[in-house]
This record gives sequence, C-alpha cells and structure tokens, in this order.
Amino acid sequence: MEKAFKRSININRYLNEVYIEVQKKDFKDACIYLYQNGEAILRTMFAADERQIDGTFKIYSVFSVPGKDEFSIIYTSLSGDDLSFPSITINIPAAHWYEREIHDMFGLVPEGHPDLRRLVFHDSFPAGSHPLRKDWSARESDLREWGEGIIVKKPYAFMEVEGEGITEIPVGPVHAGIIEPGHFRFSSVGETIFFLEPRLFYTHKGTEKHFETLGFSEGVRLAERVSGTSSFSHSAAYCMAVERMAGIGLTEKAEAVRTLLLEIERLYNHIGDIGNMCAGSGLAVGYAKGAVIKEQLMQLNERLTGSRYLRGINTIGGVNSDAFLKKDHIMTVLDAVTKEYKSLMKLLLGSVSHMDRVEKTGKLSRDIALKLGVTGVAARASGINDDIRKAHPHLLYDRLYFEPHTTSKGDVFARMMVRAEETECSISMIETLFENSYGGALTAEKKDIPPLSSALGYTETPRGSVFYWVKSDANGKPLRVKFRSPSYCNWPAVPFAVHGNIVPDFPLCNKSFNLSYSGCDM
Amino acid sequence: MIKEILKNLTRKKNVIPYPEGFGFSSEEAARIITLQDGIDGIFKRSLRIRQVDAGSCNACEWECTALTNPVYDIQRFGIDFVASPRHADLLLVTGPVSRQMELALKKTYIATPEPRLVVACGDCSIDGGVYKCSYAVANGVANVIPVDCYISGCPPSPLRIIEGLLALLKKLTA
Repeated sequence: MEKAFKRSININRYLNEVYIEVQKKDFKDACIYLYQNGEAILRTMFAADERQIDGTFKIYSVFSVPGKDEFSIIYTSLSGDDLSFPSITINIPAAHWYEREIHDMFGLVPEGHPDLRRLVFHDSFPAGSHPLRKDWSARESDLREWGEGIIVKKPYAFMEVEGEGITEIPVGPVHAGIIEPGHFRFSSVGETIFFLEPRLFYTHKGTEKHFETLGFSEGVRLAERVSGTSSFSHSAAYCMAVERMAGIGLTEKAEAVRTLLLEIERLYNHIGDIGNMCAGSGLAVGYAKGAVIKEQLMQLNERLTGSRYLRGINTIGGVNSDAFLKKDHIMTVLDAVTKEYKSLMKLLLGSVSHMDRVEKTGKLSRDIALKLGVTGVAARASGINDDIRKAHPHLLYDRLYFEPHTTSKGDVFARMMVRAEETECSISMIETLFENSYGGALTAEKKDIPPLSSALGYTETPRGSVFYWVKSDANGKPLRVKFRSPSYCNWPAVPFAVHGNIVPDFPLCNKSFNLSYSGCDM
Repeated sequence: MIKEILKNLTRKKNVIPYPEGFGFSSEEAARIITLQDGIDGIFKRSLRIRQVDAGSCNACEWECTALTNPVYDIQRFGIDFVASPRHADLLLVTGPVSRQMELALKKTYIATPEPRLVVACGDCSIDGGVYKCSYAVANGVANVIPVDCYISGCPPSPLRIIEGLLALLKKLTA
C-alpha cells in the first residue's frame, strides 16, 4: 500500500492542501494507506466533471490527519469510456454515502461498493440521468414526471427485517411537528427499535448544480441558504474557499467579525438545542426557557446584522458590517443570557424525569462514530477529539484559548453536556474577543478569480465541520462547488444510535443530534 | 422545577414580564392585537395550522416554532399548530417545493378538509427565491397547489408571519 502512495504521479502543495495525483489502480491503496497508517479522517469525497479541461472525470478524496494542519487530497482521473473507479467503502465505511452520491450525480460506478441503491434521487427520477455532468440537460416532461412522482423509473428496495413479531412503522415525509421532511422506516419488536432505515433527500434542491450557474460572488447568498440555522458558518466556509482560491487575505477586522459571529451562531444553536431536547423528554418548562433564551439571541442577531439568521454579512473578501461597534449591546444581552442559561441547566440537571430520559438513551459507540466519520457534537460526545477550530485553525481561532470538550459516554446526555460546555466556552471566547481591538478595513481588495484553480474552505458549524471545495474554469467562473455539511456525515450514524431504544425515544435521540435535512440533501 | 412553579405561584404580578432585552413598539403590539377580532369572528377562536416544509432551508420552520414560544405565544389568539393536515384549517407551506416533495405536498393538500386556506411563507415559496430555476425545484408553491396568501421575507420574522395571517383574515372578512 505504501508503494501505491509512492507511485503517485505528481504532488502539488497549495497552502495547507496537498494534492496527490495517483493512477486509478493505486487510488484505493493510497486511500487505505493514509486511513490505516496515518489514522486520517475522511473529510469529504467527491467527483468533478473536468472533461472540458483534460477530457477526464476526477475523483477526489480529502483526508486530514489529527494533530496536523494539513489536508491530503488524493485524486485520480477517469479517462475514456471506462467510467468506473475502485470503491473504498469496504475499508473506509465513511465513504459509503459519498460513493453512492457520485454514482447518482455523475454516473460513475464505484466498483465493489456493497450497496449501490440510489441515494439522492427517488424512484421517479429518470434512470441514466446525471445532473452534475456538464453536458446534462433535462427534458421538461422528465422533470414534470419526477415531480408528480407516480411513474417508478428505478425502484428503491427498502431493507426488510423478517421474523416473528417484527412490525414495520413508516413515518414521514410530512411529520407531526414543525420539522423538515424525511421518511423513516422502523422495524420494531414490540416497542424496541430493531432497525431503522432513513430515506432522506426529499429537500434536494440541486444546490451544487445551482452554484455552477451563479457566479462566485452571487454564490454567497446561496451558501447562506443551504442550512437555515448554520447560515453564517456555511457562508463563512464558502467565502473562505473562494478567498483562498483567489489569494485574498482577510484583514484582522474581518477575521474578528467572522469569529465573533460564528461563536454567536454556535451560542444560539446550542442553547436552542438544549431547550429543544426538553421537547423530546416532555419537560415543557425547560423547552419554554430554552426558547426564550434563544429568542433573545435571535433578536440580538437582528440588531447586529439586520437578519435573525446572520445573513447578508459575509461577502467575498470580508464582511459588510462591523459587529464590534455594538459591543455594549452584545455584552448586556450576553450577561442576561448567561444568567438565564445557568438557571436552565440547573433546572435540567435537577429534574429527575428529564435525566431519566436522557441518560443511557441513544448510545453511539466511539468505534461506529469513528468508522462513519461522524463529526461535531455527536463525535465529541462519543469520545472523538475532533474540532476543526483546533485541528485546522483559521480566522482568529489560533489566538483564542479553548479545548474541545469530549466525553466517552455517547448517549443523549453526553451530547447535551458537550453542548452545555461549548456554550460556556463560546461565551468566554466572545468576552475574550472584546478585550482586544482589531485594525483594518472591513473588506480586502478585490482580486480576479484565477482560472483553473481550486481551494478548500472549512469551519466548525454548531453541528460539526463543514467543507466547501471550489474550482474555477478557464474563464474564472465556477466549474464545481462541492459542499459537505456536517449532517451528511452524521445521518448514517442515527440508525446505530437508536438501535435497541424504544420508538418514543426516537424524537429525543433525533433532537440530540439535531441534524439538518436541507444541508444533507443538498 | 417545583421551585419554579412555586416561584410563579407566589409572584405578586399575574403577568410574567418579558425577559430584559426584548423590544416591541406599542404600534406593533396594537397591530397584532387586532388579529384577535378576525379569529374570533370567523374561526370562533380556533384557527388550526398545519406547517408543511416543501424543501425550505429550515429557517422558516424555526420562525414558525418561535411563534409558539413564550415571547410570541401565538396560542393566545386561538391559533395553534396541529400534527395532522386532517385537523387543519390552513396549510402554511415553506420552501420552493423541491421536486421530491411535490407529491407529498399535494397529498397533504388533499388530506386537508375543505374549506382550506394555503399560505406560502418565505421568499422561496413565492417564486423559488434564491433557488429559482434550479432543476430540482418547482419555483414556488403556486405551481403545485392554489395559494391564498404570500408572506415575504427570508425568512419572515415571527412578527411578519403573524401580520401575514392578519392580512389574510382581513381579506376574508372584507
């Protein structure tokens, strides 16, 4: 395997990204070598249609080794008529959704993949149609039939559990609560969930293709609307990718504003999530308290940026307004929030009924979390010390003191406590940010996007790591924009966490992960 | 929790004050209160809403959830969100309607008993918003089911949603 790595065709370094080109036959071995020997984490894997440049499709897999601020991007070219590549799923289970997605979107076949059912598209989407290919176009009648959803063009076989006493419970896509759509199929034995198969991608909006039709600077608006409650992190990661590609360096001021707003976003999400878990455990007073604190922070967002979801602030090369000017206001709200939040936590930890529901529920083992490449709060609650802010310091995170909070329990309670610790951490980080002053203009000088260049952008959203990879074509327009939201990595772990729990605990488990459907469905 | 209940019972004021930091102008408050008349008149203090996410980014859903929090407390008007379209008077649809949600949205619409109202909530639901012309969206709710009222905003704040519902009720009484 090491040989495969050494046979690489060429190695390019750009910032902290190392692009390693390997031959197709070496692709699998090179990935496995990095995964097993370097204990690298698979961050994302994707394909790109680069036929207009050199007549090939490319497969990229992005790894990062813990403790090292460096991304190893192994890629290979698929030329000619042979549109298959060796699957790495058997050895690196985290790749299983990525490969199915590549199969759907590009029609490239991962050879040796154990489960090549459709992932993104549902039954009525025409067979042999692959939207991310550059020469793809859709017939109006095909799209209409896809929407009508009546003609089955490629059936999807749900995994069935057979045996005495097994009941199948289908739920969704329209749920009872005010949440996003997704279909869940429980196979239960009495009250206990034996197997859960989620069928997602109901909110698939063709976002990656849509990025290609917009320019790089218009893409910011779209990035903000990929996942509602992570608007700022998504747009920050997208802007970072474009800025790195164009070689734009941010001013200290812009970096400080982005860091501040990222932490405020984390704060309102974490407190809202803790409150929301009470809705799952039936503790109405905790839910109401959490909602009031969240509302306070949402109104703060609106006063800082004009948007309750921190939209319209990020722009390529910097930010549009200076949140530091409203220091007094932020501090007043932060003080009030801290006080309320502490009383909320006291209430939750002192409530026997709540604690009884959250402890030992929805356990996700470290082993499975590691194999599936779980990220964010869910990973840290299962004992994986992984935080992009620490692993790949960006913005002002290398100057701020904080530690990733981990616990090994992996249950709903662990996820609640990781959120609680990170909330306190975020509050102190915001306070620290205000101790210094930051110089420079809000936006850096504009630069043209260089042709045929690419770069990664990343940050830690409240749910986990988000990655954007952008590549420009010969005219400096978007050739490919790939994003990987944290929910995309964490959804496959939910069925493992709920296995053996009772059906009524599913909403609680689900809320403890708090995954975005829209971000996952692309 | 018992402490919390006791505290509220023994508190002299009957009304729990808003936590500090919330600002509503008296004009806004007055506008919202007029909503009550419409609900009392037509719906006899009971307007039941079923929220349907047809591919939104989830921001609109959180604003709908915020409507039920103690700050906006939409239940005081007699409005509530229900779990099934069969219990609903009004469908509040968000999102540009992704192709894979079209069928589910139509089925939800059919499951809602007549007379029914449909409100398209958020910029995406009006014409597709930022997702307009993507291959996987139907560019707005009106392309799939008939719509009675549009509420703009990305996302519309809870106050705007209340105002939008008010405008719809006014139209019905006029």
